[in-house]
Amino acid sequence: MSNATAIFQADGVVKKFGDLRAVHNVTMAIPRGEIYGLVGPSGAGKTTLIRMLSGLAAPTSGSVKLLGSLMPIDRRVVEHRFGYMPQERAVYRDLSIAENLLFFGQIYGMTRSRIAERTRELLSLMKLSDRCKQRADRLSGGEKQRLSLACALLHEPEALLLDEPTIGLDPALRREFWGHFHQLNSAGRTILLSTHYLNEAEWCDRVGLMQHGGLIAEGTPNELKAQAAKHSGQASLDMEEVFLILTQEPVAGGVS
Amino acid sequence: MKLHRISAVTERVLRQIWHDKRVLVFMLMLPAIAMLLFGYSFSGDITDVRIAFIDEDNTDLTESILESLQQDQAFKVTVLETVDDPEQLLLSEHYQAVIRLPDKFTSLYYAHFAMGVATSAQGTVDLTLDESDPQVAATIRMGLADAMMDLGEGGPVDIQARELYGVEVRFIDSFAPAIMGFVVSLISIVLTLLSIVREKVDGTFSRIWVSPVRRAEFILGYVISFGLIALVQSLVVLTIGKTVFDIVINGSIFWAFGCTILFAVGSVGLGTLLSALAQTESQAIIFFPLVILPSVLLSGMMWPVQAIPRLLRPLTYIVPLTYSNRLLRAVMVKGLAPWQEPVGFIGVLVFVVLTIALASVVLRQSAGERE
Repeated sequence: MSNATAIFQADGVVKKFGDLRAVHNVTMAIPRGEIYGLVGPSGAGKTTLIRMLSGLAAPTSGSVKLLGSLMPIDRRVVEHRFGYMPQERAVYRDLSIAENLLFFGQIYGMTRSRIAERTRELLSLMKLSDRCKQRADRLSGGEKQRLSLACALLHEPEALLLDEPTIGLDPALRREFWGHFHQLNSAGRTILLSTHYLNEAEWCDRVGLMQHGGLIAEGTPNELKAQAAKHSGQASLDMEEVFLILTQEPVAGGVS
Repeated sequence: MKLHRISAVTERVLRQIWHDKRVLVFMLMLPAIAMLLFGYSFSGDITDVRIAFIDEDNTDLTESILESLQQDQAFKVTVLETVDDPEQLLLSEHYQAVIRLPDKFTSLYYAHFAMGVATSAQGTVDLTLDESDPQVAATIRMGLADAMMDLGEGGPVDIQARELYGVEVRFIDSFAPAIMGFVVSLISIVLTLLSIVREKVDGTFSRIWVSPVRRAEFILGYVISFGLIALVQSLVVLTIGKTVFDIVINGSIFWAFGCTILFAVGSVGLGTLLSALAQTESQAIIFFPLVILPSVLLSGMMWPVQAIPRLLRPLTYIVPLTYSNRLLRAVMVKGLAPWQEPVGFIGVLVFVVLTIALASVVLRQSAGERE
């Protein structure tokens, strides 16, 4: 994997809020076509890392690149090419589903007819077609989350940054979301998402384990399992056990 | 800067207001209610002050004094034959004044003119006055003086007045411009503040700042929405002012709208500015009285700035509505062009430039510390 083709890239990234080290010395590169999962407990620095990749926050040191552009300085070059789903559901509660999509389409310069077309496609995909005129604050949590995902997909971005896209969803709906992710992925989209559901790590191409702001392990689910098996001497581990074993390592990954 | 992104923000803000019927009604009713309430309660015309009138002289002259008083809408005159103790009468019957013209009033009055000031006794009016409300008392004094003036060649001094800017400007005429500025700025500040705080709370701000929308486009989108709303609100104030109170507008209606919209722009800036100090909607609400009280008390809206104690007067110059009041009154009541009221005009311009510039800085902060 060469860095030139990386869609998301971080080099020695540090983010401090006062004395707090939210992200510490993270280096990663995600090539085109991958589903990459950032896994770790709340407060591990996943959201901060994603915000830096999206250009919403600047690293204290190190560099962050998205689609080859240095973020946040050159974000204008790539702002049309990626979609971002914040952890808050981030839709206008007093607007209808269609109006939310209309606004987010308009600010990306889409025509009204194109927005209408994409709205039909996405709402049928998200099974929200019959709720098109419903105000967002009347939607259930799951419906709101589907709308939020639709807003991020509307302008057909090639790269997706999804912060905890499945948080709070029931298991059936989570599987449905993962169905969307794999579908998008096979249509050529590169996806970086965060989750604290460890079983979801199994469904990623590659996984980065984060703890205390550092990336402590990285690899395909099977590589991580093998790594954990080597440390513990146990075989046939599930992701939860893998996580527990690898996070107990005294010195790992980027933490120095 | 792209027009389609500005209009997207404008359309979205207007849609949000359109959906929230309570806000919509509040927005349209506030100017109407403010105009009606203030218009009626502060119309400045004191009426139905109860006066007892006792004429012990009964001449044409005293008769004409009574007629003048009766024609004055401020008074409800009760004519009594005699009175023993005016003070007792005032207390027992709750008159606000007892006016007694004693016997020989008329002859003394004319004699005074004939003989010259120094040499003779004057005609005397015996006035017993309830001073507990100074405004009512002043009205009675003025009404009585007016009645005496009506006698014709009565006054020792002939005042030849040149009244500028509309001979018959009433309180309500100069009040309408103040209401317009007040309502428009209140709505713009409050709704901008709440809307932006909500964007922060709900996270839609993050979506906007990763999108191609620029800060200037965002602010302009808001400015245009509230400019349009200001126009509608001004129309409501002026329609009610014209139809209900028959207010006099001496100036150009276009200048009036233009200046009101300009003030709304600054208010959007101020609302954006305040949004930086609030993380939640309930924190935002704390700012409402901070905006409303100085505007009502210190802007010269209810009473002239000259009536505010000297110690507090410097404060009036930091209240934006003070400048808007000067500007809109100059434009609507005096019929001047905005630049002919430089203090008000420049004051409002400075308000606009300052708040919009600072709002832009504030938005940079909430957009993340990325620059």
